[in-house]
Amino acid sequence: MSHPNQLETVGVPVAQVGAMARVLGEQPYPCDLAAAGLLHAAVLRSPHAHARIRSISTELAAQQPGVAVVATAADLDGPHTRFGVRVRDQPVLASGVVRHVGEPVAAIAAATPQQALAALAFIQVEYEVLAPVPTIAAALAADAPALFPEASATSLPVYGPGAAACAEPSPNILWEFTLRDPTFDAVWAGAAQVFEDRYSFARASHYHLEPFACLARWSGEGLSIDTCNQDPFLLRQDLARIFALPEHRVRVAAHATGAGFGAKSYCKLEPLAALLARLARRPVRLVSSFDEEMLSVTQHGAEIVVRTALSRDGAPLAREMLIDLDGGAYADASALVADKAGYRGFGPYRWQAVACRVRVVRTTTAPAGSYRGFGGTQTSWAGERQIDSLCRRLALDPIAWRRAHLLRVGEAWWPGEAGMDSDLSGGLAAVVAALDPPAAPHAARPRGVGVAIGLKDGGGEARPANAAVRLTADGTAIVQAGVVEIGQGATTALAQVAAERLGLPLDRVTVAAVDTDLSPHDLGTHASSGMAVTAAAVAAAADDVVAQLRALAGRAEAVVHAGTVEGEPVASLLKRRFGPYGADVIGRATVQAPRSEGLPLRSQRLYWMPSWAAAEVEVDPLTGQVRVLQLVVAGDPGTAVNVLGCIGQVEGAAVQGLGQALFEHLRVDSAGQPLNATPWSYRAPRATDLPPVFRTLILESGLGPGPFGAKGIGESGNLAIPAAIANAIEAATGAALTSLPLTPEAVFRALHVDS
Amino acid sequence: MQVEVSLTVNGAAVTATVEPRTLLVQLLREHLALTGTHVGCDTSQCGACVVHVNGASVKSCTMLAVQADGASVTTIEGLATDGTLHPVQEAFREHHGLQCGFCTPGMVMSAVDLLQNNTSPSEAEIREWLEGNICRCTGYHNIVKAVQHAAAAMRG
Repeated sequence: MSHPNQLETVGVPVAQVGAMARVLGEQPYPCDLAAAGLLHAAVLRSPHAHARIRSISTELAAQQPGVAVVATAADLDGPHTRFGVRVRDQPVLASGVVRHVGEPVAAIAAATPQQALAALAFIQVEYEVLAPVPTIAAALAADAPALFPEASATSLPVYGPGAAACAEPSPNILWEFTLRDPTFDAVWAGAAQVFEDRYSFARASHYHLEPFACLARWSGEGLSIDTCNQDPFLLRQDLARIFALPEHRVRVAAHATGAGFGAKSYCKLEPLAALLARLARRPVRLVSSFDEEMLSVTQHGAEIVVRTALSRDGAPLAREMLIDLDGGAYADASALVADKAGYRGFGPYRWQAVACRVRVVRTTTAPAGSYRGFGGTQTSWAGERQIDSLCRRLALDPIAWRRAHLLRVGEAWWPGEAGMDSDLSGGLAAVVAALDPPAAPHAARPRGVGVAIGLKDGGGEARPANAAVRLTADGTAIVQAGVVEIGQGATTALAQVAAERLGLPLDRVTVAAVDTDLSPHDLGTHASSGMAVTAAAVAAAADDVVAQLRALAGRAEAVVHAGTVEGEPVASLLKRRFGPYGADVIGRATVQAPRSEGLPLRSQRLYWMPSWAAAEVEVDPLTGQVRVLQLVVAGDPGTAVNVLGCIGQVEGAAVQGLGQALFEHLRVDSAGQPLNATPWSYRAPRATDLPPVFRTLILESGLGPGPFGAKGIGESGNLAIPAAIANAIEAATGAALTSLPLTPEAVFRALHVDS
Repeated sequence: MQVEVSLTVNGAAVTATVEPRTLLVQLLREHLALTGTHVGCDTSQCGACVVHVNGASVKSCTMLAVQADGASVTTIEGLATDGTLHPVQEAFREHHGLQCGFCTPGMVMSAVDLLQNNTSPSEAEIREWLEGNICRCTGYHNIVKAVQHAAAAMRG
């Protein structure tokens, strides 16, 4: 899309705001923060996947050098201290039972990090080891031990027609979500051919480089926490409940974050740091190690059955997804992930009817939570693998089948739901066209091309956001909004949007740090909603500033541009109206998408966030080794506010998807012991893993709901990669892989054993 | 037991009293408050802690402070001169070679070392050199391009 000529800042590629501090090493992260009298925390974690705590003795530890305080569940227990989204089942410190290796059992605050760590060895815990429940199958077995014999505190959302959910339908199932089109059975009955396939999705680690880190301090006024958390306002609610404080006595400062990919959402280690600080009456900094990080929250592994009904000529009729997510030991965000995985997991085709059942299964493994793609990653893998496999069974070309049956702009698979707002067929053609011509066939190592389309929606459900824009007395501007900078480039894009609406150059706009005492409320840095929702509030707040300036100038149509109002410098106008020191002009706005009560989730999808991938692979049948020769990935930001940022988001996500496809897998043994939950044993993508040809396309539909037609793009780039690579393997060899990752062993097995 | 180490950090003479087990990265971050050098994995995998010791890149989480006694250490804070970014810093900033920025100091220090030894590395050579630096955000592509731009700028 070409931009209207009048845009001066939006659509112009710019260096990231904040890049200067980062290349100079001057950007502070929470692990760098200090305070007078600071204590350092260390956490004793469970060595068992499942055990009863018979006793904890802390006397010896408390006597160790430098130790100020030792905390256990006895210092903070009760139903109100548990946390989790919709199901509050996770204690700050293990209470009576541990349910995964790495669960916090006790914590120490000491004068130095070394003293805190050393003193952990003096905490004596007596465990009675219980039977582990390491897998979905083990948790669903008839004789499985009940992980939560008692019901948790829950809060269920209200659903519309077609959808329903249930919390804890049985002790080892955290959540069940169902969706069923009333016409599903009739449509299914009319099918000429049906396909049912099962797919496995291996759980990955977020592997964010900056560990979890926070600094908690108490004063007579209440609790203050500096942290790396995407959800400062939701965290404030959790902290207020856990410590029985009103919300205005809890301050959360959300700092620039060393990435998260979902891990740094909702309540994490902050209550534990706050507990230690309260007991010690000193500031406490808690910085996890990378090992601890990997045992704190993970992606959801999944087992997915895909049932697809086609007409006689191969056109899509109906699809049903039966999804079991491995939720790990505690709820975290699993209930939300389940709803989203089920609701949007069918793939972007012209289904006449859809149905799903999603269960979150509790296991004695690390809790699973938000992860880039939020359920869309798992369903895009299964759904897009099956499209290729069924095309192969029907001797149809998978690219041609997709192009014939993809949703067109404006079409939806659920009556009344938001129509598709990207050119899906055009995007698919674009990624295929961007591949170099395939090399000559290799005699010993077959090659093939595969494609896939990933899909999720963005923007949340009737999500509110607030923003303020402050024009200072010298005519420069400060944007206040609750989006946390986690590397996604939100700061830059929000500054661009405000600059554009104010008619200011970008270097005269800054974005304020996020602080719950000062920032306008926002639901959190989630659902790729920064550009689609919060940016709309920022744009409206900037418009409010412009309106106020026009009122001050006394001319409703006054031209506001380049720091002037109808030619008069803003500083001059403000001094003329407010005196020699001028004054700030503060614009405010609140936005919220409307509810649509007749829809299953009671709101339309705010926008769709597809991605397209095409891959060429070469397979060595002797070893099962797969080489990705070419990878092309594309995303649609609606309008690219900063195309450099969009490319970075799609490209980075694509490499995360490449790791998910080929080797990433957090594994546990039959006792629930992690096998590779360390940075040296878990394989994450490195620069040498990049394919020789690696291209990113930004395809602007201009159809986003955000300012200037923007959408979010941050969660799209990984969605299609695993299926595209597996589809390429099938095209090359005929091996129909159904499990991730696509390791040499798995490929060899598919080629030589399973066939 | 405490020992004294004397070294040059970013051009300034520094003497510190540390426990013998103190890592170079702890000396830099905790004793000298040079927090631009980051600790990610703490096990020599991620490279967020790369600094230069006597001009060569080193993972400072894998070197004891006492091993740097008498050495000249450069950290990310010492790379820019007189308010001017090093060409590698400038290229990372301008060409979007970073997102969250946590890996950036180590990445930049590694890349500077590469360009000291190879003034026009190929794409494959840059990928190979940076294998010891993990970035989860960018997918590396823009980092590699930034290094190529820096190499061109430094060749003049």
